[in-house]
Amino acid sequence: MGEFMMMTPRERIKAVINFKKPDVLPWIEISYDETIIKWLKEGLPADKVTAIEWDIAREGRLLLNWPHVRGFDLYSYFGCQYMLGCYVPIDIGPIPRFKRSVLRENERYVDLRTETGAIARRIKSAEYTWYSMPMFLEFPVKDRKTWEDYKTRLNPEDPRRYPKDWHKDAYIEAFEQYQAANTVLTLTGFYGFGTQLMGIENFSTLYYKDIELMIDMIEHWEYFTIETIRYAVETLKDRIDMIYWWEDMAEKHGPCISPKIFKELFLPHYKNVTRFLNKNKVDRILIDSDGNINPILDLLSEAGITGLWPLEVNAGINAIDIRRKYGNKFFLTGNLDKRELVKGGGPMKKEIDSKVPILKELGGYIPGIDHLIPAEFTYQKFKEYSDYLKKYLSY
Amino acid sequence: MEDLLDEIRELIVELGDSNKIKRLVNEALTRKIPLSKIIGDSLRRGLEEVGRKYESGEYFLSELLYAGSLMNGILQMLKSHSRNQKMESGEVIVLGTVRGDIHDIGKNIFKMLAQAAGFEVIDLGVDLEPEIFVEKLKETNAKILGLSALLTTTRLEMKTVIDRLNQAGIRNKVKVLIGGNAVTKEFAKEIRADGAALDAVEGVEICKRWVSS
Repeated sequence: MGEFMMMTPRERIKAVINFKKPDVLPWIEISYDETIIKWLKEGLPADKVTAIEWDIAREGRLLLNWPHVRGFDLYSYFGCQYMLGCYVPIDIGPIPRFKRSVLRENERYVDLRTETGAIARRIKSAEYTWYSMPMFLEFPVKDRKTWEDYKTRLNPEDPRRYPKDWHKDAYIEAFEQYQAANTVLTLTGFYGFGTQLMGIENFSTLYYKDIELMIDMIEHWEYFTIETIRYAVETLKDRIDMIYWWEDMAEKHGPCISPKIFKELFLPHYKNVTRFLNKNKVDRILIDSDGNINPILDLLSEAGITGLWPLEVNAGINAIDIRRKYGNKFFLTGNLDKRELVKGGGPMKKEIDSKVPILKELGGYIPGIDHLIPAEFTYQKFKEYSDYLKKYLSY
Repeated sequence: MEDLLDEIRELIVELGDSNKIKRLVNEALTRKIPLSKIIGDSLRRGLEEVGRKYESGEYFLSELLYAGSLMNGILQMLKSHSRNQKMESGEVIVLGTVRGDIHDIGKNIFKMLAQAAGFEVIDLGVDLEPEIFVEKLKETNAKILGLSALLTTTRLEMKTVIDRLNQAGIRNKVKVLIGGNAVTKEFAKEIRADGAALDAVEGVEICKRWVSS
């Protein structure tokens, strides 16, 4: 009899997303920073969640080993994993960045030029909430000319896209050694990128107003995406456990672009990217989209997408229904209704009881809130949720 | 005449080319078809059909937004042609996003569809103090107030606005419609709003029902 070996968090996540049975069901969350700040005021012990690392003093100014705070590790404290564990450090933003600057301000608002070239407004008193939900006043791409200008910043060949210290063997080793959660390559999707550059209203209607521009934007994004990640993917291959593809392409009612547009314009480009990934043994590809994605699930599957998050209950998404309808086509994460969980007590327990045991049995499911941990959650209620959910994690 | 109006309506429903629709509307004007008939029998009926297709899942946000922008483009054009024919102005809706919330996408979609449906919309903007709603309602005697909030943290401000309407003694003169991602029918009941719109199309339908009753 061999000695019983516990799986690492990474091994557990990898097992589930590949429809294998882990020793313990992993649990994944992502928190808004504002939630952590609020919890620190509500009793979350700062010394227990402070992530300190030994390093040569910041930015190499002194040859001095000194411990310093890297941030807050909420996840280890509660015993869950952060969805974006160890990520491939490639820069897929505009290079050069737009200069971040304050354009104007008054007593209540600050209008900022962001690094992507948008103008965003925040309420001064709500600094932390701004990052989760900014209000955009202007976007950098308005028409063909502004797109052509912007395209020059989306050059995959720019050497600044990879870290200065990129060393193939060092990264391979780092990705093999990492065990605290899953390794991830993050991408921005064809709809997500368009809305960041043009705004939701403008990009969603571009099919009807200027289809040639939309085609050009999507074609360039495919080229840019594949060529930017090519070297990392061909190097790391399946040491990348999961692709996290941000899209946010749906609202409560359904997808922001119709399935018809998705099929005609987006699907071929999704397929080209996923084919490239699959060729390099990367086939766990998760789409991050809020809202009701039910009408495009068939198309997402055809596109090569194999995972879904956050499965927003408020938009009518039910993970059990998806599992039963689609079998093992998608691994699933999230889907615990934040509106019920924040209430704690009976409603929280009912939400967990009604989903987690069934999905655990069906497999391919990692429990978690159906989006980021909202600030409406009190620290105490989250602890209550954490304690209750943990009862279901062991086999 | 009816054929032309039907063609315009069908083009809106089929999300046709905006220049072609404008050309046909101009043709209708040349033929001296009354403005009220062009707007009522073709444009609004077309947009209503788009709304139905959205509700039934045949159309999505991309189609709804495009139809709304088509409609508003035509209405703008008609305004400049309407010196001799008075464009009827409908019931007034005072609209805005509550204090602490600066999001406006949902509000703007509702505004676009409500205007296209014939309402006069007074859009006060975002992040509004409750008193601003009260003052504007008193000033305009508007019968409908639309409140928007994206965040669950800011939706509580909707109740504050309703409380202020009570304090100002005008609550029973105004129907309050709430909308936004954080809004549910249960929440509307909880804060004693008159209705909750889960999307912009439903919001406009609720307003139409209120006006007709």
